[in-house]
Amino acid sequence: MNGVRGHARVWIASRWDSFGLPALISILLVTFSLLSSTFASGFNLLSNLAFSSLVGIGAIGMVFCIMSGDFDISVGSMSALAGVLGASLVGRIGGVGAVLVTVATATVCGFVNGVFVTKLKIPAFITTLGMQYVYRAIAYIYTSNTPVYIKDPFWLFLGSGTVLGIPFPIIITVVCFAAAVYVLRKTSFGRYVVAVGTNKTAAMLSGINVDFIKNMVFVLVGFFVGIATVVTASYLGSVNPGMTGQGYEFQVITVVVLGGTALTGGNGNMLGAFFASLFLTYLQNGLGLKQVNSYWQFVATGLVLIFAVGINRVKSALLGQREA
Amino acid sequence: MKKILSILLVLAVMAGAAFAGGAGEGAKKEVTIGFSLWTMKYTFFQAVEKGVRDACKELGYKYIMIDQNEDATKMVNDLNSLVGQKVTGIVITPVDPGAIGPAVKKARDAKIPVVCADIGKTGPVNALMISNNKKGGEMAMEYMDKLFKEKGIASKKVGVGRVQPQYTYASQRGDGFVAKAKEMGYTVVSDLVTQPPTAEGGYDTMQQMLSANPDIAGVFFASGREAVGASNAIKAAGKNTLVVGYNGDPEEIQAMKDGIMAGDIAQQPYYIGYQSVMLLKEIFAGKTYEDAVVPVDVALLTPSNVDEFQKKVDALMKK
Repeated sequence: MNGVRGHARVWIASRWDSFGLPALISILLVTFSLLSSTFASGFNLLSNLAFSSLVGIGAIGMVFCIMSGDFDISVGSMSALAGVLGASLVGRIGGVGAVLVTVATATVCGFVNGVFVTKLKIPAFITTLGMQYVYRAIAYIYTSNTPVYIKDPFWLFLGSGTVLGIPFPIIITVVCFAAAVYVLRKTSFGRYVVAVGTNKTAAMLSGINVDFIKNMVFVLVGFFVGIATVVTASYLGSVNPGMTGQGYEFQVITVVVLGGTALTGGNGNMLGAFFASLFLTYLQNGLGLKQVNSYWQFVATGLVLIFAVGINRVKSALLGQREA
Repeated sequence: MKKILSILLVLAVMAGAAFAGGAGEGAKKEVTIGFSLWTMKYTFFQAVEKGVRDACKELGYKYIMIDQNEDATKMVNDLNSLVGQKVTGIVITPVDPGAIGPAVKKARDAKIPVVCADIGKTGPVNALMISNNKKGGEMAMEYMDKLFKEKGIASKKVGVGRVQPQYTYASQRGDGFVAKAKEMGYTVVSDLVTQPPTAEGGYDTMQQMLSANPDIAGVFFASGREAVGASNAIKAAGKNTLVVGYNGDPEEIQAMKDGIMAGDIAQQPYYIGYQSVMLLKEIFAGKTYEDAVVPVDVALLTPSNVDEFQKKVDALMKK
């Protein structure tokens, strides 16, 4: 492409992955701040930053999974089961133990999904569609469809406490994303995940244990959903077998795709998922503070998603990359 | 490097916004009521909302409404947002009453009173305004008994389609019905939770009841939509089982006019919303309410008084 306009487009395209969403978020923050001084208050900005962690943390594992060429729609039900199991054991094993049980349960659920996909060769969509019913049903049966309340001070601190004025969920999010980015970019595991998602056969032929990688990404999905469940349960003060995690899978996948990771697999954008969760949270928050009808907020979210995927396509075309 | 830059960019803008915005709007001189509502999808909640809105208008209070969109996590975030906006009082109709605990505590710590308009409560709320559900369930059984006698129905078999157990207050509808049934010498042959809580769920659950007990004489469905679904299932099966519902929504009124539903226990959602704000007014004036439950009367709707009831409701909603 020639000319100033052409150069400008290529310039933007090459920087979109790193700065596109942050730029959009900045524009969003400035716009809503001008429209509402309540939006711009430190309290509002921080509390929504914490709120974004509920979906953001859960998205980390999903980024790995989608990059490897699969996805997991059982995460909402996983969250319900892990949450009720952990919460119900607080009396017997204490807050710390119960939190660990929650994370462990979700991780095991992820492992089970991974086994179905790798060893039994059942496609991820079918597996996780089926397990979506199974996990939630177990949660219903285990609790007789009654919510489990959390009164343990340790657990409640994880979602509502602050350290030096910073809500604790933000600290958890930062640590999780930092670890995830490190694993993805600085370890061979991360490279193998990208390889498997880009071309499974080529990866296998080059000696990568594809089954192990695929199984591990599902384990990661479960692990991070477990952490997100702990924070959510703390935020709400209870876990409800019917309500916890309803629609969670769609929120998580939206955030992953909006962040720049293509559903077709291959390289993705881990930090993008973080920014996407911020963007959607502040968008919903800003519109809500201006008393915009909630249904228009859904319209906004849908349009943003389409816009983001569209931008990714244009960017790939401009840079001559493989169609994502 | 790029990653760090991108994060710093967002943080810088946020910090700038926060400094520019200051601590949000200062202490308000005017009274602001923040109302967090389960959803606007159903007429029941639309009536609660109108009640809250009208009360605020009458009292000259500023009114902020946030729709929870049936999402428990959004509900909690909205509550925190209202606290951040330093509203004077909060009314909430929670989609998940068990999940408001920590958020209500935050509100009370910030000296903002919280009144729950229907559904239920957790945490240090000032008050919950809710229908006398137990009495409603009893009234349903009493009416059914009266109808059986009028129609000369000898069967003593009845059934109940309950709401989901997490709604502890609404569950009292089923409890009241079952207790009164036993007291009057009836046998509750079918005691199920209607799943899912929709008209289709009512239809399904009723079919299950009919399969297990084809000669069941009467059923009480503790929620309106579900009762209408059940009525349709009975009609489709060609049976004469009597159905009594709960709520007083337009769908149930239509079902009664169509002759497929025998009776309905009507709540007063407009009044619940309205009175919640009036209660806040009393709290602002210094009256103490702590974890109080304020019962609201329910009424029995029959095919004969349905039109009059509908007129009253329409008048309230058009105000």
